[in-house]
Amino acid sequence: MSSTGAMTSSPAVIARGSSTIELSNVRKTYDHFVAVDALSLRIEPGTIYGLLGPNGAGKTSTLRMLIGIIVPDGGQILVFGEPLRRSHIQRMGYLPEERGLYRKMKVLDHLVFLAELKGLARGEAAARAQRWCQRLDLTSWTGKKVEELSKGMQQKVQFIGALLHEPDLIIMDEPFSGLDPANTVELKDALLELKKAGKTILLSTHRMDQAERLCDSICLINHGRGVLQGDLNRIKAGYGKRNVQIKYDGDSAFLREKRLIESFNDYGNYVEARLAPGADAQELLHLASARARLSKFELVEPSLEEIFIDAVNQPHA
Amino acid sequence: MRNVWLIIRREYLERVRTRSFVVLTLLLPAIMALGFVLPVRLASMNTGKPEHLVLVVSSQQFGELVRGQLLSPKSSADDDDTGEQVTRDRRSAARYLIDLDVHPNSAENETLRSRLAAGTIDGYLWLTDAAVQAKKVVYTGRNMAGLTERSWLSDSIGRALVAQQLAARGVASDQVDQLLQPVQVETVRVSHGKAGKSDDRAMFFAVFAMVMLLYVAVIFYGVSVMRSVLEEKNTRIMEVLLSSTTSTQLMAGKLLGVGAVGLTQIGIWIVLAGMIALPSLAFYPSLSEIRISPAALASFVLLFLLGYLLYSAVYAAIGAVVTTEQEGQQLQFIIVLPLIIAVFLMGPVMRAPDAPLAVWTSMIPFFSPVLLYLRIAVQPPPAWQIVLSLALLAGTIAGMLLVCARIYRVGVLMYGKRPTLPEIMKWLKYAKA
Repeated sequence: MSSTGAMTSSPAVIARGSSTIELSNVRKTYDHFVAVDALSLRIEPGTIYGLLGPNGAGKTSTLRMLIGIIVPDGGQILVFGEPLRRSHIQRMGYLPEERGLYRKMKVLDHLVFLAELKGLARGEAAARAQRWCQRLDLTSWTGKKVEELSKGMQQKVQFIGALLHEPDLIIMDEPFSGLDPANTVELKDALLELKKAGKTILLSTHRMDQAERLCDSICLINHGRGVLQGDLNRIKAGYGKRNVQIKYDGDSAFLREKRLIESFNDYGNYVEARLAPGADAQELLHLASARARLSKFELVEPSLEEIFIDAVNQPHA
Repeated sequence: MRNVWLIIRREYLERVRTRSFVVLTLLLPAIMALGFVLPVRLASMNTGKPEHLVLVVSSQQFGELVRGQLLSPKSSADDDDTGEQVTRDRRSAARYLIDLDVHPNSAENETLRSRLAAGTIDGYLWLTDAAVQAKKVVYTGRNMAGLTERSWLSDSIGRALVAQQLAARGVASDQVDQLLQPVQVETVRVSHGKAGKSDDRAMFFAVFAMVMLLYVAVIFYGVSVMRSVLEEKNTRIMEVLLSSTTSTQLMAGKLLGVGAVGLTQIGIWIVLAGMIALPSLAFYPSLSEIRISPAALASFVLLFLLGYLLYSAVYAAIGAVVTTEQEGQQLQFIIVLPLIIAVFLMGPVMRAPDAPLAVWTSMIPFFSPVLLYLRIAVQPPPAWQIVLSLALLAGTIAGMLLVCARIYRVGVLMYGKRPTLPEIMKWLKYAKA
């Protein structure tokens, strides 16, 4: 479940020399609204890259530029080491933010149609679609119309549709939206498997917990600008172990010790507190254990959510 | 090309498999069959109860003459008229019961009127010598006499009068019949030096059938094109499709696929119509005289398809611009208007198929599917005009397709409000379709 060992920006990848995606100073405006502003990022082959940001930050616009639906107003997009061309797009699999399926079409017909458009032969497309449906528990639905499926099942169909042609680059806009936890795990496992097979995955999400578990690298964007990006572990390490997760029973007065705790967040089962600058965790441990029964006291890196909120709240330089 | 083919196949199969396709395909011929067969059946059912007419005359002898003319099978002129054909069948002696009344006074008039009201007679004709002298006779009936009915009456009276006069001048009765034999006029149309029997009514019928088919197809499948564009827009299918194919391919595939659906449907209709019409020909002998040349049939198929593609493309463009179906319906007049204008132009074009009006209106792409076809059917225009008209039509379709693809390309990614015309013009400029 954790992203330990996800440091796959291995020497082999660097030896290949080119990133799967490289954006430099990409800009997109609609009328007078700047959707993406001087965004630069680099996605290495065989990694999972998370494009994170609040709603309206420019995530979807960025992804649409990558699959050629919209054209950037400025900057450069390199894909597989070359300027973006239509032939590159055939090597990509795309999952749009909301469902993009013909409601009246039968599931299997639809999947075959999508795969054929990506150049697969009919028989091969059908065989692969069947295999995927089996894997994601959709076999009994292949003959049903899309509109008869639940939202979550439609999302799975869409997911399969993006993968049938075995793309080298998979681009997914909010792939987990509308999914229950069981289905989320299913899709996440599928994505991790694809990564192991050497595929590059770019996904956008505003769900930080998911990104945290899945992504090797991230880019936080806000108001169209990249505010924070790079290797996720390195980013978190950069913030240091300034947080303490405490599970306790009894008096909570120690949490209001301003000298030691800058802020805290009560998650119900446990509290995550951020140490004040210069504060000593040992001192907090003494104080807390004197007042309450502790069942957990652990120094942790800040969660991505916290980093995100921090980064977004910072007036951008 | 493969993509276009895949899209054609999808659009075709998805439409042909729908219930509405099956219903429309079977329902229309059923309605037409009812329209053809029912009147015939009803007419033959009516023979059980003949219409009862009374002739009020001054003399028994003149009354007999008129009755003889009215019931004579020759009484209706053989003028090669489909309507007349039917009425003649109906007018067989059994259809009418004609009594003579030689008491022309106002009391009798009242009596007849009350019998009419009571339903014991269906009508009476005031045919006294005075009335005949004044050249004005009055028919009083429960059903207002239709035009053919009226001409049947006046023709019969006229012939009776002539017969009476001839007899008075000593002409033998069989000679009278001979003299009264009507003259038949047959029209012969010369096209490309070959004489053929012309039938304006049949021509009009064939062209009108074309317009109706085009209209039904455009309205029904055009809306379906618009709806499918809207669906692609409102869900995000567009994004998925555009990551696999271009909007021009998408558009071309969509229109051709829908075009194929229309041709399939019309093919089925033609076959069914043939099956229904063949037995009906026995009742409508003159229908069998409608002869459509292979060239006219070929131009029918070609022009139907082109017209259909053109109008569907307009629907697709509307679909790309609007956000809801209701909004789209409001813009439908854009499509229906040219079709209506074309129907109004049919009359003048048919009368003078070589006049400048006909030549130039049949060049205008939105009219040419109807008007060029009409001209080809009536009097084949010079080849250059056909070629030019078809080229303009095809060019317009190609142009519409590109414009639609562009509007589609940009329009589908704009959600929410309907764009203004200047905005659409801007899209056209910057969309690299």
